[in-house]
Amino acid sequence: MSLENAMADIVGSRGVSTSYLERAAYSHDLAPIPRNITRFFNTMPDMIVRPDSLDEVAGILKLANKMRVPVIPRGSATWGYGGAVPTVGGILLDLRGLNKIISFDDARGLLTVQCGVVWKDILDFLEKTRWELPVYPSSAPSSTVGGFAATGGLGYGSLEHGSLKENVESIKAVLPTGEKAFVGPKTNWISPDQLFSSEGILCVFGELTLRLVPRSHTAIPFLAYFDRLGDAVEVANNLAQETRPFGLILRAFGFVRARKGETLTGPNDVESGAIIFGRYSSSTNKVEQSMDTLAKMVAEKQGILRPRNEAEFEWGERFYPLRIKKLGPSVLTSDVIVPSSQLEEMIQYAWQLGRHASVDVELEIIWLSPDRVLFFPLFLSDERRTFRYLSHSAITKKLIDRAIAVGGRSYGYGLWNSFHFKTSEPNRRRELTDMKRMLDPNNIMNPGKTLQAKTRFGLALPKPLYSGLLETLWQLGRWF
Amino acid sequence: MSRALLSKLQREDIFACAQCGYCVNWCPIYDRSGWESTSPRGKVFLLKRMLDRNGPDVFTSNPRMASEFVQRLFDCTTCGRCTEKCHLEINLLDLWVKLREISVRARLAPQSVAVIEKTLLGPKNVFGMDSAARRDWATYTGAEIKTREQARVVFFVGCVTSYSGRSQGVAQAITAILNHVGEDWSMMDDEWCCGHPLAVSGATEAYRHIAEHNVRIIEKMGAETLVSGCPGCCLAFREEYPRILDRKPGFEVIHFAQLLDRYVSEGKIDIPKLQAKVTYHDPCELGRLGGVTEEPRRVLTSFVENFIEPEESGRIGRCCGAGGLLKATNVTLSGDLADKRLSMLNNTGAEIITSACPSCEQNLGEALSKRPDSTRIQDLAEVVAQQMGLM
Repeated sequence: MSLENAMADIVGSRGVSTSYLERAAYSHDLAPIPRNITRFFNTMPDMIVRPDSLDEVAGILKLANKMRVPVIPRGSATWGYGGAVPTVGGILLDLRGLNKIISFDDARGLLTVQCGVVWKDILDFLEKTRWELPVYPSSAPSSTVGGFAATGGLGYGSLEHGSLKENVESIKAVLPTGEKAFVGPKTNWISPDQLFSSEGILCVFGELTLRLVPRSHTAIPFLAYFDRLGDAVEVANNLAQETRPFGLILRAFGFVRARKGETLTGPNDVESGAIIFGRYSSSTNKVEQSMDTLAKMVAEKQGILRPRNEAEFEWGERFYPLRIKKLGPSVLTSDVIVPSSQLEEMIQYAWQLGRHASVDVELEIIWLSPDRVLFFPLFLSDERRTFRYLSHSAITKKLIDRAIAVGGRSYGYGLWNSFHFKTSEPNRRRELTDMKRMLDPNNIMNPGKTLQAKTRFGLALPKPLYSGLLETLWQLGRWF
Repeated sequence: MSRALLSKLQREDIFACAQCGYCVNWCPIYDRSGWESTSPRGKVFLLKRMLDRNGPDVFTSNPRMASEFVQRLFDCTTCGRCTEKCHLEINLLDLWVKLREISVRARLAPQSVAVIEKTLLGPKNVFGMDSAARRDWATYTGAEIKTREQARVVFFVGCVTSYSGRSQGVAQAITAILNHVGEDWSMMDDEWCCGHPLAVSGATEAYRHIAEHNVRIIEKMGAETLVSGCPGCCLAFREEYPRILDRKPGFEVIHFAQLLDRYVSEGKIDIPKLQAKVTYHDPCELGRLGGVTEEPRRVLTSFVENFIEPEESGRIGRCCGAGGLLKATNVTLSGDLADKRLSMLNNTGAEIITSACPSCEQNLGEALSKRPDSTRIQDLAEVVAQQMGLM
């Protein structure tokens, strides 16, 4: 029996496709990758399989194991690191059919959902209840629960409630062998911590039970303008320390273009200005106190606190940092986690990169804790100008290198950032390698990424070669 | 496909698409199929790939992808919800329509689409029926119609309302209300199809010919206002004719729901209260694409005591599956969409489902006929006329 027929036996013929067009539609994620690069990998899946139950997922993995066929789990593919992109073909497992809310325990504030549920649907569902999500991703309108669990789980709400893994009660995972595993706080052979952020190489997150937080009495959004980026950074850092909003975001655009001089000694030299916005949600007293503190801090730096309706609008804009792409039409970025004390250094570095490449940048900074931020600069580029775009792609590597140098790390690794894993988090990488050997002896689950980028020819891409190539392109880029 | 046929902005937008997927879950076709290639994001990605890798003649130089891709283009109701949800403000609807036009020129469009031009240029209606039978609905329904040389308001009936038995009551209701208020109105002596289906079949010259005919007659009648009960006809006159004729017709174009709203607010009609539970389905071409969402609700809430708003309504109203020629290209999918929308409307517990589009009412009606259900589907004009005892 062919693999296609065997898969159809598990999910039904309507859940399997080998059409060329369909396979092409699943051969990518958010990031545009030049053809010169993708030809090192077989990003085209051999078939797409769409299960709609955990049993079906288990059946697919058992069969794939038996036949030694790679399986690439995919949610909404809203990550840009190639985590859901095949490297050597295989079965692309579209998990969006597992989109049911399984149960809601109103008394305990527990919500059990399948991995394909979109975060926005959970936000809508909880609107009618007395509970809220403690944390959700900036791509909530389309990203899935499983995707967020596999790729870091840091987002809006992290400043107040930590990451997703700190807000999950238990997981029903399907392991690469097809075995189903319940992983809760009392599971002794594996912990939820080990599975989170494993980028689809260890398991499929079948179901998650989320711990909700009681809906706040008061929730007030805020928005402040600053003429100088450095003032905005300082106020945001102080706010994160002293008031801990549910969400705190800084945005600035055009600061490379706006700068007239040749040197930048600190963010205050930047002439673009910036906004900070976010939301407090807590008891009425606490929110009022926080808003008073905010008003004082903003006034001290000659910022302007904007009216509530504008703040409400901007809070709604938290899901749309990619609007900027309209000016690209491409953007290059790496989201890195850095100590907030190093923000100035990172901003200056992003400015230097933008200057060198003659491209403009949007800055997006999300506070994850009082002392850590997600630094997410978006560099405008144009993928149609292949050489220039290739040259610009060195920006992603350089940002991660600098983040590591200042005590930070890449938000994730996937295919394109896997070279940095060893330098960035050696212990975590060692642990993940051991887990991979134990749980996936045949290496069928999302192979060729995270731990090591492997090309379609079975060879690992050596880091020195990769680094040297990017550096050469970067230097040559200024002539194009 | 020639790149040149896509505008510069469209070519830029294909690359600007962030692939964020915010449109995906709002697409009614993706919702039913679940395959990425049917979603707006998937189609843009495939298009980018075709533009990126080949010369200017993308469809013909991509035989491996072209025919399947064109099928996806026509497995679409052109409801425009993807455009509504795109935060990069890419006009995806315009892109789909342009690509359809290109596929027709490349002879890749489904046969049912390719024959539309021939049909419309023959008997001048979408059904290919005898043009002399266009007014038979008045005989069947007993409606009192007017055909005058000059009139302030011209009632453009449209093909579906004229020829489809299920929809002829809409024309009867509209004429009854126009007569009741003593409106200075008339029908056209020689009404042709509005040509809206040609907008998606690439027959620009044929479309211009039809538009010129209709506009010439209406302007000759000295009309100030053209009113129709069909949102597709309204869209053709208001949005497409100015583009294709390179000038704005010399009259206002409104849907009958808007005229009803004026009559209610001016006190020209008094509609007795209705106790039944009523809900309203927004036709895509009237609500989202035409921007008319408040007027039908104002009319309904002026006499319906128990009006219930369905989920996914107004500008984000969910398509019933009747638009974009889907009924001609994939009747099963069209029926599937109608069934889904009907379930949402039924969830309101309404006894009467109203709408303001003969095509929506037909498609929802067909879905309803497969269920043991006592719910009625009626056009807004019919509900009003019945309540006023005019039919």
